[in-house]
Amino acid sequence: MTPDRFANQLARFFGDDARFSDKGGAQWELRVPRDRCLPLLSFLRDHSFVHLAFISAVDWPKDGEIELVYHLWSYEHRVHVFVKTRTEREKAWMFTAHRLWGQAQAYEQELHEMMGVFFLGNPDLSPLFLHNWHDRPPLRKDFDPKAYSLKAYTLAGLGLAPDQKEDGDVPS
Amino acid sequence: MYLPDGYTTLEKLREAGEYADYDLFFGPNHPGMHGNFGYVLTMIGTEIVRVRPNAGQLHRGFEKAMENKAWAANVSLIPRVCVPDPDPNEVAYCQAVEKLLGCEVPIRGRWLRSITLELSRLGSLYMGMGGLAGALGHYSTMYLMMIERDLILDRFEALTGARVYHIYNVPGGVRNDAPEGWFDSVSRLLDHLEAQMPEYDRLLYENHVVWDRLQGMAPITAEEAMASGVTGPALRATGVKADVRVDAPYAAYPEIQVDIPTSGGGDALARAVQVRLDFAESVRILRRLLARIPVGAVHADLGNLAKLRVPAGDAYSKVESSKGEFGYYVVSDGGEKPYRVSVRGPSLPAGLYLCHKHLPGMKIDDVAAWMASFAICPPDIDR
Repeated sequence: MTPDRFANQLARFFGDDARFSDKGGAQWELRVPRDRCLPLLSFLRDHSFVHLAFISAVDWPKDGEIELVYHLWSYEHRVHVFVKTRTEREKAWMFTAHRLWGQAQAYEQELHEMMGVFFLGNPDLSPLFLHNWHDRPPLRKDFDPKAYSLKAYTLAGLGLAPDQKEDGDVPS
Repeated sequence: MYLPDGYTTLEKLREAGEYADYDLFFGPNHPGMHGNFGYVLTMIGTEIVRVRPNAGQLHRGFEKAMENKAWAANVSLIPRVCVPDPDPNEVAYCQAVEKLLGCEVPIRGRWLRSITLELSRLGSLYMGMGGLAGALGHYSTMYLMMIERDLILDRFEALTGARVYHIYNVPGGVRNDAPEGWFDSVSRLLDHLEAQMPEYDRLLYENHVVWDRLQGMAPITAEEAMASGVTGPALRATGVKADVRVDAPYAAYPEIQVDIPTSGGGDALARAVQVRLDFAESVRILRRLLARIPVGAVHADLGNLAKLRVPAGDAYSKVESSKGEFGYYVVSDGGEKPYRVSVRGPSLPAGLYLCHKHLPGMKIDDVAAWMASFAICPPDIDR
């Protein structure tokens, strides 16, 4: 399948909603608004992109948005597709893709925990990795690991020793 | 559910009027568990009813840590994502960075990358086969295979100075050229490994205990495997001819013949046999690589790597590891550090998703064998 033919086919179904670009090296990029993302993923799965490699998320605090990136691969055409969609940073949410790919449930569970994106319809968003976590999601850009370590892993931070001036004794 | 007559404890439970279930922690500390991962198994008697993955005891926050380190410094962190097979991580990350830089790796560098990748695969396959044998109670096979793996680690030590985490790749190529006589020593090692293999075949693959335990265990179809994101040997064991080295070739693979052997069948036995076929193919690839080693530089000149700046953009690069597709999605904002790195590990689809389908109904003693047959390596779930 050539990129042009694919872009034409896509335009027939999604019009201007899905913006296509060829990144080179058999990697294509599709940008789509959130409410059209699930239909697009379903369309791609039915058009030979059966392998969901994983779901990734990038925090863009400057834009006030979180970008979700779905990585799909077609065994037939040997093409990798990034499907990118954005959601607002405050109260970030997205529809679940676990009915299209079962393993998406686990990726979404991880993103909910690490990036703070709520996936509507996901059956299990319970914490998987973090234990007793009360801070902001750790993969957000405004989470500072050093400040957190000083608070959680030093005697002074835990209120068990007087404050120390220097902050150089963080266990690494 | 299976209930033998006269089994007193269950009889007592029966008298109480209902089956009692209990939670069994399989891992994080269990001889059959690779790494500090675990499943909380809800059991009735010896049979699993429900399973809950108990991840997080090994989580080191690599993706966050990588955002705070220089581009080249991250290579020292990355191999720790997969302990038995570390090199695919280095190569996948470096290739993603090279894609953003638009930099071409010299041909000898690509050759050395492929050779180290295949050696790393052999070491990991030994660990996988040994782990499977260990999970089935054949400890001698496991120890013997660890001895062979150690010989591979010796070659790595001679090349890179490190045994387990080699930190051999850098953006632009590999760190150093091979020392005098190294290729010959790898060649001699392959002779030795091939000569030893029939003995291990007799120990593991011609052993009817192994066949009886694995045949028919946790079967998956090709469609199910592709739809669940299963890659690598577990996918090829269902008969699908898929391999990143062929589908999206990298390093020296575009110039080398790579065949894709498939076992077919899709059960745990087919997956175990697939690992053996992959092993033989890997040895053949190494022989082809060693037969013609190009001359020239081993890395491109990118200036001071500690101050490397990468143009803004994003790239995904993937590598066929011994367990399946390892991928790195790298985002740059044009700075001296990555903006975001996210890792696609091969173990998550089976480790966190297929476990819900396969484990219920199984006995406790099959869980370790099931994990070994899918080559589940928890460090890449718990990055």
